[in-house]
Amino acid sequence: MITVMYYILAAAVAVLLMINFLRSKKWQDEILYLIVLLPFILRLLRLK
Amino acid sequence: MTLSPEIILLSMVAAYILAKLFKISTELSMFFAALAGALAGGAGIPARHIAEGAFTYLDIILIFITATFFMNLLKESGGVAFVIRGILRKFHHSKILLFLLLTLILLIPGALTGAGSVTVLITGGMIAVVLGYMGLSRPRTAAIVFIIAGLSAAAPPVSLWAMLTAAGVNMPYVGFFLPLLIPCVLLSLLTIFILGWKGKRVDLDKALKELPEAPDKMNWLRVILPFVAFFFLIAAGRVWPHSLPIVGLPLMFVVSALLSLLLSPIRLSVFRIARDTIRQLLPLIGTLTCVGILVQIMTLTGVRGLIAVTVVTLPVFIVVATLALTLPVSEAVLMWGAAPVLGVPLVLLFNTIGLNPIVALAGMSVIWPLGDALPPTAIIGRLTKDTVHMEEPYREMLKHCLIPAVLIAVVGTLMVLFSKKLAFLTML
Amino acid sequence: MKDHAATLRKTAFSLLALVVLISAGLQFYRHRNLREPVVLGPGVTDVKNLSDYFDGISGTINDAHVYVLEGEEPGGAILVLGGSHPEEPAGRLAAWIFAENAVVQKGRLFLILSTNRSATTVTRLGGAYPTDYSIETNFGSRTFRMGDRWSNPLDQWPDPEIYIHYPSRQELAYIDIRNINRTWPGRPHGTLTEQTCFAMTELIKKEGIDIVIDLHEAELQYPVISTIVAHSKGQDLAAFSSMMISGMEGFNIGMENSPEALRGLSHREIGDHTDAISLLLEAPEPFLDATRGRTDRKLLLEGKDRFIVRAGKHGLLFEKIDENGWPIALRVGRHCSTLLQIFELWTEEKADRGLVVSGVPRYSDIVDRGVGAFLKNPATADPNRIVYE
Ligand SMILES: [Zn+2]
Repeated sequence: MITVMYYILAAAVAVLLMINFLRSKKWQDEILYLIVLLPFILRLLRLK
Repeated sequence: MTLSPEIILLSMVAAYILAKLFKISTELSMFFAALAGALAGGAGIPARHIAEGAFTYLDIILIFITATFFMNLLKESGGVAFVIRGILRKFHHSKILLFLLLTLILLIPGALTGAGSVTVLITGGMIAVVLGYMGLSRPRTAAIVFIIAGLSAAAPPVSLWAMLTAAGVNMPYVGFFLPLLIPCVLLSLLTIFILGWKGKRVDLDKALKELPEAPDKMNWLRVILPFVAFFFLIAAGRVWPHSLPIVGLPLMFVVSALLSLLLSPIRLSVFRIARDTIRQLLPLIGTLTCVGILVQIMTLTGVRGLIAVTVVTLPVFIVVATLALTLPVSEAVLMWGAAPVLGVPLVLLFNTIGLNPIVALAGMSVIWPLGDALPPTAIIGRLTKDTVHMEEPYREMLKHCLIPAVLIAVVGTLMVLFSKKLAFLTML
Repeated sequence: MKDHAATLRKTAFSLLALVVLISAGLQFYRHRNLREPVVLGPGVTDVKNLSDYFDGISGTINDAHVYVLEGEEPGGAILVLGGSHPEEPAGRLAAWIFAENAVVQKGRLFLILSTNRSATTVTRLGGAYPTDYSIETNFGSRTFRMGDRWSNPLDQWPDPEIYIHYPSRQELAYIDIRNINRTWPGRPHGTLTEQTCFAMTELIKKEGIDIVIDLHEAELQYPVISTIVAHSKGQDLAAFSSMMISGMEGFNIGMENSPEALRGLSHREIGDHTDAISLLLEAPEPFLDATRGRTDRKLLLEGKDRFIVRAGKHGLLFEKIDENGWPIALRVGRHCSTLLQIFELWTEEKADRGLVVSGVPRYSDIVDRGVGAFLKNPATADPNRIVYE
């Protein structure tokens, strides 16, 4: 039950990271958003 | 043919400097240094190691995001302005009372979460405003917030350096309460009184006129309830750990955030605040993720072992005498990664030569957070500079940190040195 | 025009990230789903599951197999735990050799090869472990999952900010709530790791286990190494075994008492909460040392490292190491011989509760012929006698 909420939380963060990535204007920030996004996606896919 | 860890370390440093010369941010420079290390180590671009390293601080990143989101909601709802006005009205007449209260408010968030950045994000901004009305300069204010935030992270009940190192040497996290509490509280008070001594009494009328007005319907109940919920969840987890499910800090902050949203007297744009929160935190969470990747690559290529073995094989008196240097530097590069990389071999070394490992580790934990102001990461230092809206160059803040930093380094080193005599503090 | 360039750039970055994501994701998936065959030896009479003892664990990743080897003659019962810490491979491999080779004449032997199965599916963050390792045999090689000290967060998330042990309420680091050697004796409504311990505690009680032996390895900089850690109930047995081994088997092993103050460990809690004697064996594993150099499969299996040797020259280690390192055969051999000596001494002492085992190689056999010589070929084995871990 609580674990499910953590997946929802991770999904929310992942969506926000993606939106900010798309709106970003600086290439350095874009790379950084993608790096931070990586573990969130892998967790959501239950790969790690 | 594989290159030796010495040469791999050199290529990582070279890549870092090169990236910096091309005006690349600290976070990305560390990432490129990690890539250079992997290439030099003959591992190519090791996708799995990059991803695995990126996971290292996932839970801590979630804490930062949810805690900051909660604070931002509170700020936008006028709760923060309300609290500052309240504190000023009640305590403006006594500097000593005000300092005691501010120290307490600064110590609590970091002590409970183990993260100095949570202190800076949650209460640092408010405290800075109050200190500003006492006539203290921005760099001086930033130094106070930074130093106490660091001590709050080391303070019990949750000190991540002590906890992670203790787990690394198979020691229970027991006996740390007083050895951590006493130096952290004393040094925090010393810091605020030394740096704040020149502060004047607050000109209440002026302050109240300048501070943003809180919405009319704002009251103490609306501000306090989310915090009450947070502290209740923490307390409940400790009192009934075996009859309640594990909530975890991120979800606790989400609960507080939802409550402050419900109790806000004005309508808040949740989506915009959430997006801004992520943008505001990008340097912090980016650094954490990249440090995790860097540590993984350093371990993979043997660079981590090179550093660890070099430090622990120095003559013991040099090891102890330079703790005030090696610990902050390791923190500045690796952050909590410093606990397994340096903390574990050091505590085992101290144990071998007959020091008390608990008190020695507590002493080390007090010194470690000083590194959060140092480059390359300077993570909490940079965060503090932004949170207190300091316009002056960063080194101005460092200058004011010097005296308390020396005090902290001396106290921490003495704790290691005399850990055996101080062993009674563990009450074991 | 500028917008166009930005879109192009973002697409390029995203594609790069996607490559890393897919490549890493595939490796994580393969690691978690690598199947490790166990070729049931002639002595295995039954393969049970932990859920046979505690239903709460059924359907979870930690519903481990329990290999039962029952002799013709009635006697005692001993439980051997491999894989409490799957980052310590010698413990799992020793248990594997027993499962594929042992024959029991008297008493019952219970084996668990993946005590914390969840922890076999993940490697330590920042540790740069390989995801697997292979043992050479004369028919090719057998590949095993490398694991971690802690359960996989995919199976237990989130952690609390501090871990309070049940039932002692001792405070431990938050990550240790996923360390199965900190969650004994376990509880039925706890976390997955605690439930796993509870299931094993039930097994110990229901099967009337006399001795539980938990197989581990340790870094050389850690003081508890090359030793038998014994609950007070097993003091004499451990002390005698240590003496006999040092005299007969060609290696030295120490003995120490399980400290009262360390809660959640198997050698403490099993002894306290059940009728069984609890012992824990530690072999040296340089791969775990913080001063290790390059982290790879070679170090894991050969245990050679010049930085650790350097730390040893400075007197920082609790076990000797030279350029020959600590090959896996030595470490597995130590566990096998120590187990056999404990069985033999126990049987001499308590004939009616004895356990007589044959077919298992000793230290000198494994050092001479390698671990692989005692692993069976799954390709030529009877498919009905193959179980997967
Ligand atoms: Zn172990």
